[in-house]
Amino acid sequence: MTDEREPGAEKLESGEPTRIDPRLLEILVCPLTKTTLEYDSARQELISRSARLAYPIRDGIPIMLPEEARQID
Amino acid sequence: MSEARNYLREVETLDNGNVEAAYARWAPIYDLTFDILLKPGRRAAATAASKARGPILDVGVGTGLELPMFAPDTQVIGVDLSEPMLRRAAQRVRRERLDHVAGLVKMDATRMAFPDATFACVVAPYMLTVVPEPQAVLDELARVLRPGGEIVLVNHVSGKDDAIALFEAWLDRHMAPKLGWRPQFPWSIIGDWIDRNPRMRLVERRPLAPFGLFTLTRIKRMSAESKKSEESAPLELALA
Repeated sequence: MTDEREPGAEKLESGEPTRIDPRLLEILVCPLTKTTLEYDSARQELISRSARLAYPIRDGIPIMLPEEARQID
Repeated sequence: MSEARNYLREVETLDNGNVEAAYARWAPIYDLTFDILLKPGRRAAATAASKARGPILDVGVGTGLELPMFAPDTQVIGVDLSEPMLRRAAQRVRRERLDHVAGLVKMDATRMAFPDATFACVVAPYMLTVVPEPQAVLDELARVLRPGGEIVLVNHVSGKDDAIALFEAWLDRHMAPKLGWRPQFPWSIIGDWIDRNPRMRLVERRPLAPFGLFTLTRIKRMSAESKKSEESAPLELALA
């Protein structure tokens, strides 16, 4: 995984944790298996048990690409 | 059909890596350079989508230029393959307090993280011309669209033999991998796809300002019981 943040990209003001909109969480599924995801708010990840992948959420933006996801057991 | 296939073979060099890298380069100046030319199309797409009763998906949302143009009572999710662009879109959403935007997500438009039949409308302004497999993207847009819902496209459709078409062909051969978009885009890419999909029906094809350079296309997903031939709604067709 690479951090491709551009140098000038602003950090969120005041460092408050970015919330994921519940309307979005309700809709998102695993792009591979199309099954529901578990939201890990502490790690900022969306877990697909069926694909055994954890999709990262960076600055409030879910990264729903298998090639950028972390493999889990 | 074969026109589209030959064409697709020619631009196989335009892969997702090219597109992603090109957009990372463009992100800082994209708004300034393209805003004026592309604004009427964004507005037309957002206006058409705002009539939808249900969630709207904006595919290729980029820096979110059209996000403020959706009606405030809509619910919009934006997706893009470029993370730098999405981050800019997120700043815009916070800055302008666009409460109708329910989320911004990085995903591949041919393999989206949504269930079938999720959205009442899917808009893709200036998107199809920058992807390696436009028909695979159309398949995926149709998959996440609810029956009765519409795909709203805005893009440049190239002519056959005018001077602009020749220039586009030249640009296509020499520049497509560097630009991250394909200047040449025959209507047959969309037309052949609609012909192959009996549930999908062209409901509008309209040239937009400035100079009819871009075309707004609305494609409706018919409900399961209605067939194409039985539909009586008149086709709003305005060709340049």
